[in-house]
Amino acid sequence: MITLLVALIIGALLFGIGLYGALSQTNLVMIMMGVELMLGGAMVNLVAFWRFLHPEVYAGQVFVLVVMTVMALEMAVGFGVGTARFRARGSVEMEEARELKG
Amino acid sequence: MSFLPVVLALLAGAYLVAVLEGWVSTGRFRPAGPILSGLALLGQESLVPRTPDRIFFEAGPVLLLTSALLASAVLPLGPGVVIVDLATGALFVNAALVYVMVALVMSGWGPDAAYAMVGGFRFLGQLVGYSMPIVMVIAAVAMRAESLATTEVVESQAALWNALYQPVGFVVFMAAAMALCFLPPFDLPTAPGELAGGVVAEYTGWRLAVLRLARAVLVVTVAAAVTVFFLGGWHGPVLPPWAWSAVKTLAVAAGMLAAGRYVPRVREEHLLAWWWKLGIPLALLNIFVVGIMLVTVGG
Amino acid sequence: MLLQALFAGFFGMAAVWFGVVVFRTSSMVRSALALLFSMTAVGAMFLAMEAEFLGVLQIMMMATEMAIMAIFMVMYMMDPGGLGQMDMSHQKRAAQAAGVLGALVAIGVALLTSWGPAANAAPGAAEQTRLLGIELMERSMLIFETAGVTILTAMIAATAAAIERRRR
Repeated sequence: MITLLVALIIGALLFGIGLYGALSQTNLVMIMMGVELMLGGAMVNLVAFWRFLHPEVYAGQVFVLVVMTVMALEMAVGFGVGTARFRARGSVEMEEARELKG
Repeated sequence: MSFLPVVLALLAGAYLVAVLEGWVSTGRFRPAGPILSGLALLGQESLVPRTPDRIFFEAGPVLLLTSALLASAVLPLGPGVVIVDLATGALFVNAALVYVMVALVMSGWGPDAAYAMVGGFRFLGQLVGYSMPIVMVIAAVAMRAESLATTEVVESQAALWNALYQPVGFVVFMAAAMALCFLPPFDLPTAPGELAGGVVAEYTGWRLAVLRLARAVLVVTVAAAVTVFFLGGWHGPVLPPWAWSAVKTLAVAAGMLAAGRYVPRVREEHLLAWWWKLGIPLALLNIFVVGIMLVTVGG
Repeated sequence: MLLQALFAGFFGMAAVWFGVVVFRTSSMVRSALALLFSMTAVGAMFLAMEAEFLGVLQIMMMATEMAIMAIFMVMYMMDPGGLGQMDMSHQKRAAQAAGVLGALVAIGVALLTSWGPAANAAPGAAEQTRLLGIELMERSMLIFETAGVTILTAMIAATAAAIERRRR
């Protein structure tokens, strides 16, 4: 039980740090790092839930695998967009990306 | 406890590999060479370049040594002679060896020097090439063993070595192993001819000694991994199990060192093209063929 | 039980500390590698919580991912070495408030919910890996295959977005 609480608190802290980073950074790559940290916190929670609440249901572990996939996809697409933007504008500073507004 | 024998075996293997490497690269057989050059390095001043990233500069060689040692912790040298028999050992070998790349990127970025940085990031590109085939080949090996534990992998080869059961996988894995421990045709991060040593260029004294030791231990570890995954580990007639492990590991290390003499260094983009256009399809084909063979004729 | 909590807490604190370092250093490579070690610590935490396959997989995947992140940072940042001490943040106050609030809400939910009885024992590592494989190949097969197809789509889309237009 105590490990579950420890893991949930760690997950919450990672999520908080990631949220701060994603909101405060101006650079695309740094924003992505914040998102990765948030996903990391989510993964800690998922593994803790699997281990301490339902160790016989393996869908919990599959969920973690899916989150890992999401992290990889976020990186791939983010860097694709970043490369295209760097080619066009010479920077990936998100404050200058006002024309992306609808 | 099999901790001490394994570490001693690793160190002895690293020494022999260092002798072999000297023999292969200079053509002279000097059994005391590594000791002499090690003492010379320890007596040398260990310079720190101007404006280094100090943490990376110091941590890089140590991380390289650590990752090689961690990988060797799950490789069995004989029945029961293994430090930890992880249930996911085959995957763990790969997970630990990925940190070779992290160590090289760190020690390439650390000294704030152009050649070192180019070398470090070259190895990252090299990893993008070889890391996919290596996982796929290990997947095929695990399919035959029906387990990811390294001891089970060795047991599954009692009748027939994996090198004969899946020769395509063996060839791909050997090439990937050479790329992993940056041996000559794939020595892009150090490239003596064009990068003046690359990653190791800025290291002197005891730090260089640690780096060289780590490299030798890495070569032994990777050769032991080839032995475990493809050459039947400790299985063999007459000789005791540990002797078979030692003989096979040294033979693989010697083979990897000698093969590099006859191939010119591969360029980065050619390397990536070869790995992605030939290596990955071959590794996938290997999985496919092994799957069919397992279903039809059995392991 | 207590030992498990201690290990999980230790690696968790390491993960949090490296996570803080990510946004406190001005060197981009340091920041990417701090994220790498944070994720490695999360993987070690999985190992402490007896999810061996997931832990090893996490440790393996994140190393490559974050190192690639490091190279992109060096490519795209004006000051990758962090020697100029550039400030690259905005709306700091609001972000801090949001981060603290998010963490506090999550901690509150974690502490105030009654989780019911915790399972004491998980299956052994070899058994776990086998059952996860069966789950992936039977009940969750569609999910897993969808993930695979999505990765392929993202690979093609990212390459198409990033590739240089040929001038005709």
